[in-house]
Amino acid sequence: MRKLYAVVKWEYLQRVRAKLFIVATLLGPFVMSFFAVVPALIFSIDAGGPDRIAVVDQTGRMYRRVEAALAGAETDEDELPSDEPERDAAVTKSDDRSNQLARSQTGNLVLEEAVSAGRSLDEVKRDLNQRISRHEIDGYLVLPADLLEGARAQFFGRHTGDLFKKRRLEDGVSRAVREERLAHANIDANVVKELSRPVDLLSYRVGERGEERDRGEGFILVFACGFVIYLTILIYGQVILGAVIEEKETRIAEILFSSVKPFTLMSGKLIGVSLVALTQLCVWVLTFLGFSLFGVGMLASRGFALNLPHLQPLVYVYFVLFFLLGYFIYSTIYALVGSIVTTAQEGGQLALPIILLLAIGFYLAFPVIRSPDSSLAFWVSMFPFFSPITMLVRIVTQTPPFWQIALSLLIGFGTVVLLAWLASRIYRVGMLMYGKRATIPEAWRWLRQS
Amino acid sequence: MSTSIPTVRLNRVTKRFGEFSAVSELSIDAYAGRVYGLLGPNGAGKTTTIRMIVNITRPDSGQIELFGREITAELQDRIGYLPEERGLYKKMKIGEQIKFFAELKNVKGVEVDRRIDFWLARVKLSEWKKKRASELSKGMQQKIQFITAILHDPDLLILDEPFSGLDPINVELLKEIILELKAAGKTIIFSTHQMEVAEKICDDICLLNRSLKVLDGRLREIKESFGRNSVALRVEGGDAVLRDTALVSKLERHSDQVEILLAPGASAQDLLRRLVAARATVSKFEMIEPSLNDIFIQKIGEVA
Repeated sequence: MRKLYAVVKWEYLQRVRAKLFIVATLLGPFVMSFFAVVPALIFSIDAGGPDRIAVVDQTGRMYRRVEAALAGAETDEDELPSDEPERDAAVTKSDDRSNQLARSQTGNLVLEEAVSAGRSLDEVKRDLNQRISRHEIDGYLVLPADLLEGARAQFFGRHTGDLFKKRRLEDGVSRAVREERLAHANIDANVVKELSRPVDLLSYRVGERGEERDRGEGFILVFACGFVIYLTILIYGQVILGAVIEEKETRIAEILFSSVKPFTLMSGKLIGVSLVALTQLCVWVLTFLGFSLFGVGMLASRGFALNLPHLQPLVYVYFVLFFLLGYFIYSTIYALVGSIVTTAQEGGQLALPIILLLAIGFYLAFPVIRSPDSSLAFWVSMFPFFSPITMLVRIVTQTPPFWQIALSLLIGFGTVVLLAWLASRIYRVGMLMYGKRATIPEAWRWLRQS
Repeated sequence: MSTSIPTVRLNRVTKRFGEFSAVSELSIDAYAGRVYGLLGPNGAGKTTTIRMIVNITRPDSGQIELFGREITAELQDRIGYLPEERGLYKKMKIGEQIKFFAELKNVKGVEVDRRIDFWLARVKLSEWKKKRASELSKGMQQKIQFITAILHDPDLLILDEPFSGLDPINVELLKEIILELKAAGKTIIFSTHQMEVAEKICDDICLLNRSLKVLDGRLREIKESFGRNSVALRVEGGDAVLRDTALVSKLERHSDQVEILLAPGASAQDLLRRLVAARATVSKFEMIEPSLNDIFIQKIGEVA
């Protein structure tokens, strides 16, 4: 036991004092939010300049309305391609911003009316097609004469892949058509607007704390939990792999084995690194808590409201438990892999299937978040290689019955014991085998020998 | 000596890896206050034998006793081991590194720091204490590894090729420390394939070849039993005589003299007479003991 303590202590101290650890702990949240936010940002980048679009108006009276609708002059709130279904009077600031975004997107269109001047549609189209190829315009919209009677409008463009643009045009034309129809029927559009104001759907989470308002932050938090567990297991699994390979490559293992039992060494290493990971997670969780206690209030006072869902203390306990479970399952496999390869490169190759398994667990979090009650959610949260992420996701979204959580933990714990037994037997032989990578049959033989 | 309990006793120990025998029926007794040489070419089974003594692997059959008891994990703390294949943590500071290995041997506290400073000074590496291992030369790293093997003041010290790659000054330094430890009553097992090194440092030897013990006993007695059938001589001329296989079975030219192993049945007197008769000028003619290397080659030749 004293030797186990010595291994744990040194493993922990060496890593926690490393500059890399300190930097990673401080910058980790930023890096992670970076990875979460950047793809979304990239996705929304509109790299080109404004789109120049000609409108062939065969109705002879729709152009103005379409132009107005697309330019956003008569922006109907209900027609905005709003990604925020719920609205809250208290959050006017953020609403303003999303409106501005919509306007600027609409403003990204430069419209002109294509005058047909008695030419046939085909002639006009030919002319416009040439203008497209000369890059004078990017596309044109054909509004047929019977548009108001339900005919389809057509869009011809250099490229038509941009779904956002298509939707914007569609919305603009529909709005224009509707207003025209209303005007036709002698109904005041403003009255209609007033009457057809949409109903906001506010979602509430029903939990033990009663009803709780959920504005999407819940999803983000669940996702973040899964992501943090996934990433931390991945990173610290690699740490274990690297550490085991170093001891094998440098032959330190031989000295170590003459002082401690291989099992003691291996478990000391796993425990030491797990404490390092927990230290890091603690820093992050405390930062999160601090932020949700003080930061949110501060932001709200500046008009930037953020409604962080309240997490029960028990969730933090489960978070730690399932993190440890996942960590020990995966890092034990990493230790095993490290002991049978000879170089870090080989280790990386052999570890690929493990990473894949872990990644599948992470991606399974999405269907589980959407329907945490499904039988899929149940089974994947029982399977030990997925449960650390999927069960936690279930707990945060919609806490399953306790027996399910307990069963999942139990299965996971059993897996850890089994894997540790397996790994330690291969480890003690593998660590002293130099020269070449062990084959699976060889590893199997070691397993039965020792 | 042989009346006391040996520090290390191997009794008909065998270790196989699949079909391959690494060690066959090996029996060894190593005593306190002596240096026991485990000798043999590469692949003879030296490292496997050592691994069994330090309890890294277990023999397939036979018994191993340390300090008169069956080996246990606890007894590992009384052993210091410098493996042939050895390394240090590249990024760990030297002082911490030594401390870590010491704690694995259950030595801790202020005493450890005192010993680390003492030994670092002894091998002239004090100013490297706070440096990382990767900044040290190979020879320096080797001295650090040597320190880690002796820091916990082990009763049994096992050194596998401790001098390989060291310059002569450092070889002398380590040899001095080894002989001090021996004088302090420690048991030292010294494994090497370099017979010249073993010859200078070992009290007892065991020659291994292809998993089998070829020869063992006190070095002194072994040498005497092989008799003085070698001659060191400095001579001008008489080359034809030296080439006569009836007289000379082996000839080794050094920079200023030749060493000759007499053919079986030939006497030194015959050789001297023939040389004089051939009008060679003899300026040195000395009967010497056979070198351990000669003995080894001769014994292996017998077996093969």
